[in-house]
Amino acid sequence: MICLIALIAFGILGIFSVSYRKLALEAFDCVFRRITLRKCESGLDQRLKSQITGKLMVKSPKLASKIYKNFEVISWIFTILMIASTIYSGYGIYNFLVHGNCNGPDSNALCIFDPLKKEEPETCSVAFQKTAELEAPEIGDSPSLGSLNSKITIIEFGCYTCQYTREAQETVEKVLKEYKGTMRFVYKSFPLPNHESSKNVAIAAECAKLSGKFWLYNSLLFNKDIKTDDKSLISYAKEANINITQFEQCLNSQEAIENVDIEFNQGIASGIYGTPTFFINNISLVGPQSFEEFTKIIKKELRK
Amino acid sequence: MFSLNVEKIREDFSILNKTINNKPIIYMDSACVTLKPKQVVEKINQYYNEFPACAGRSTHKLGKKVTEEVEQSRKTIQKFINAKKQEEIIFTRNTTEGINLIANSLGLEGKKVLGTSKEHNSNLLPWLNGNMKYDIVKDKDNDFNFEEFNEKIKNTKLVAMRHTSNLDGTTIPAKEIIKIAHENQALVLLDAAQSIPHKEVDVKKLDVDFLAFSGHKMLGPSGTGILYGKYDLLENLKTFMLGGETVFDSNYDSFKLEKPPEKFEAGLQNYAGIIGLAEAARYLTKIGKDKIEKHEIKLNNMITEELNKIPEIDILGPNVPESRSGIISFNIKNTDPHNVASMLDASNNIMVRSGAHCVHSWFNANKLKGSARASLYIYNTEEEADIFVKAVKDLVKIVK
Ligand SMILES: Cc1ncc(COP(=O)(O)O)c(C=O)c1O
Repeated sequence: MICLIALIAFGILGIFSVSYRKLALEAFDCVFRRITLRKCESGLDQRLKSQITGKLMVKSPKLASKIYKNFEVISWIFTILMIASTIYSGYGIYNFLVHGNCNGPDSNALCIFDPLKKEEPETCSVAFQKTAELEAPEIGDSPSLGSLNSKITIIEFGCYTCQYTREAQETVEKVLKEYKGTMRFVYKSFPLPNHESSKNVAIAAECAKLSGKFWLYNSLLFNKDIKTDDKSLISYAKEANINITQFEQCLNSQEAIENVDIEFNQGIASGIYGTPTFFINNISLVGPQSFEEFTKIIKKELRK
Repeated sequence: MFSLNVEKIREDFSILNKTINNKPIIYMDSACVTLKPKQVVEKINQYYNEFPACAGRSTHKLGKKVTEEVEQSRKTIQKFINAKKQEEIIFTRNTTEGINLIANSLGLEGKKVLGTSKEHNSNLLPWLNGNMKYDIVKDKDNDFNFEEFNEKIKNTKLVAMRHTSNLDGTTIPAKEIIKIAHENQALVLLDAAQSIPHKEVDVKKLDVDFLAFSGHKMLGPSGTGILYGKYDLLENLKTFMLGGETVFDSNYDSFKLEKPPEKFEAGLQNYAGIIGLAEAARYLTKIGKDKIEKHEIKLNNMITEELNKIPEIDILGPNVPESRSGIISFNIKNTDPHNVASMLDASNNIMVRSGAHCVHSWFNANKLKGSARASLYIYNTEEEADIFVKAVKDLVKIVK
């Protein structure tokens, strides 16, 4: 039954090379004879068997012997496996075409191979697509770390409820530590409109800023498995030693909402189409990028 | 001093310095065709590079040079087998052609032809195909059966026997057979394809009437061969193939034949092959056939001794290697010989032949499918013999 495998393998190779075409024909003849329960006449199966065991003989005589003696069984197993995996792949392709997901209609799991996937950075995208070139915004009243005169300014547009923004946090912290003293870091909230409670969290962060505790609160939000209801947000504020009466008032204030809106609109004006988006001086970086990627740009900017 | 300098010989065979899959090549299929030394290859190239013209027909300088080289080659072959005259040497394509020439021109219709039980198809089918009575003498315990021969030789016109068998390497006692045949007014044709490359063959001493062999089994170019015949017999032979070079005159209704050997060499010949074949003969003469035979038997002894220890192995023919020259034809119990050959090749680049070796008649009569056959020659080493033995032992363990 090895001939069936051989037929497919040689068949594919035969597309490219004439010498395999002859083998493919032999394999076909062999398969046909085996299906009709006759002996394979060309001896292709025997030839493959002795070639395989001969090669193995030098390396592992024991294994060679096992394969030699059970060749028919082993080739049956491989054949069945091959048929099964062919059917399974076929099913996957069917699912993909019909449901847009190769794992079936109800699955959220990823296709390992997704032919439609574009080579774009992973971001939590807003409803609109990238339209214009990205342009760094004014810093304005947004919270910032580091000296005003730094040669490097990094502005991040992030969303607390965006998985990718959260992923990027580790790198952000590493960059902050590595380039402490040489750069200024600015965080702007860009609460994704399609994330229900993202704006809530952004407002809470804004209120922390008004209490002068933004960075501590920001760090708590990123490093926790956060919940987004008011009660939780208040409890985090407690943790950050924020005056709770003020904080609660702030959460309902127009001022906080407006400030968040200003940053969001700045983002739109900058052409942000997903979070996180970084500006290292005027160079934009979309998605959770590696530390090396940051370093490369920072070094380049420092050399200027 | 009296043995082969195999290392030096191997330097002449460029293929032996090459590897396949990082392993050296162990060529043990010389009974089919041998490898070619660089001297032979250079000689072939010389024809194409220096005088690629017609022999015998054109009078220009190149034509003369080829004619000279071809006639020189004929002389070399004459000496090689110790023929009386160079005109007794006919160039052919191979042993098969030589035998067919005799089968078609000796006038054997209705006559009796006698062979052995171990004939190559090339020395069997030409007799079965013609209108002749064909019979064989069967070996008795791997020895030539003189009793049966003495009986069957009566009224035989031609004894056509293989000198050495390509099946198991056994050689018939040609001299005695020829003597008895002549006493009974029979002619003798020896198929010397497997003897010429390996042992001294002297047509005068043997007093053989016809002898056919191939160049490619004796280091010569592929598709070259020789038919020797006693001159007076050749003169009286009918022609088998006619055309250019075979006649010295022709009209619309008649022609006058050339003398031997020209009358048998129809059409343009393989000059490069002929010259290369003579070079191979020179190469072998220089080495000395006695040394070649000794060397093969030494290796055969080493291999036979080890294989005899393995109960699953059956060697065809007599168990004494001295009677099998360089041939080890064997079977592993319950294993297809093709698988054996394939596995030896895949594992160690050991190249042996498998199947019926064109001696289907013997295998059919003995109800065997075939055998794996290792055939040794001057370039095989003791180290290769060891590797071969080890590989066969490993193989037996795997299929056991
Ligand atoms: C004993 C014997 N006779 C005849 C032949 C035929 O030789 P060729 O094929 O060169 O004509 C062979 C070749 O294997 C042979 O071994």
